[in-house]
Amino acid sequence: MHEVRDVAKKNPRGGTNLKAFYLLLGVVAVVGLALILYGSSRGSGAAATEPVNLEALDARGLVEKAQGIKEGPDNAPVQVLVFSDYMCPACAYFATTIEPLVKQEFVQAGRVQLVNYDFPLGGSHIHSFVAARAARCAQDQGKWTEYHNLLLSRQSAWSYSRVAPVEQFTDYATELGLNGDTFQSCLNSDTHAELVTANHQLGQQLGVGGTPSVFIGGRLSLGPNDWDVLKAEIQRALGE
Amino acid sequence: MGIALCALVGLLIAAYMSLYKLGAFGMLICGTDGCETVQNSPWAVFLGVPIPYLGFFGYGALLVVALLGLQPRFQADRRVAAALSLGALLGLAFSAYLTYLEAAVIHAWCRWCIGSAVVAVLVFLFAIPELLRLRRS
Repeated sequence: MHEVRDVAKKNPRGGTNLKAFYLLLGVVAVVGLALILYGSSRGSGAAATEPVNLEALDARGLVEKAQGIKEGPDNAPVQVLVFSDYMCPACAYFATTIEPLVKQEFVQAGRVQLVNYDFPLGGSHIHSFVAARAARCAQDQGKWTEYHNLLLSRQSAWSYSRVAPVEQFTDYATELGLNGDTFQSCLNSDTHAELVTANHQLGQQLGVGGTPSVFIGGRLSLGPNDWDVLKAEIQRALGE
Repeated sequence: MGIALCALVGLLIAAYMSLYKLGAFGMLICGTDGCETVQNSPWAVFLGVPIPYLGFFGYGALLVVALLGLQPRFQADRRVAAALSLGALLGLAFSAYLTYLEAAVIHAWCRWCIGSAVVAVLVFLFAIPELLRLRRS
């Protein structure tokens, strides 16, 4: 009896209220499991990061399925189609430097309709597809242009991520005032995967080989990132 | 008690990471992309076993031993003290190795992994009395 008491006295683990402790462990376990369930539901589904298989589409079907982002009037005399990839530095230059000039000079005057298409190159551009989808998820909330420009201007911040930068893209969305949960659930799914794939296929049908590829009135521009060349090509298409 | 509580927290962290590894959900809530970068890196596997699974079984075993040690019949058992000390030392060493990998090799920080490393340090601190007890006896 004395031995037992001595052991209890010496033992650092003895002499405390075990029931209360088990209760504490139970509470921690329940709260932890609830958090895991919550975390699992928020992270459910995987973001589609690659083109999907589309049923064989003829040219008309492809044109219907593909959707560019239009800016400028439908009755503008010249249509400028832009095919770009979100991980391509030249596309970032085009979007941040040349495109604003096109808009200022021609689109705002109603002489040109600018249409932006996704053209994720694939290969080492591993996040281009999901970036294009992210921009489309932003479009769902009415901010494609802002999101498109933000993605391209911060290209170097997310391009080198080893995995799909879903959280970074979501942060950008909330920065622009979009609903982060809605955006993230859109991104963590295959939403817009068919659309981005169709845009890419349309570019392939038109002979797009690199990015940015700019078609002015149906003709491929020879110098999309040279403002003087591009301006002259647009003026020529306008008959000026 | 401290060891049991920490082991439970570590077990829950490892369970969350293991479920991700098993594909139960597509994305870890992390605050950065660091968790997925670390989890998808070649260093996320040790001797062919994904590290979250090792954490799950390691913390699970530690929890069982810690709870056993709370039972009156095992309170003076040297084997329990030895197992807790060994588990704490192994956990600390392995966490230090993983933290080194994040800092110097992968160049990405996974917040859940850091959380697990903090738990391992706490387990070690709580295990010091056990180590001293072993030395005395």
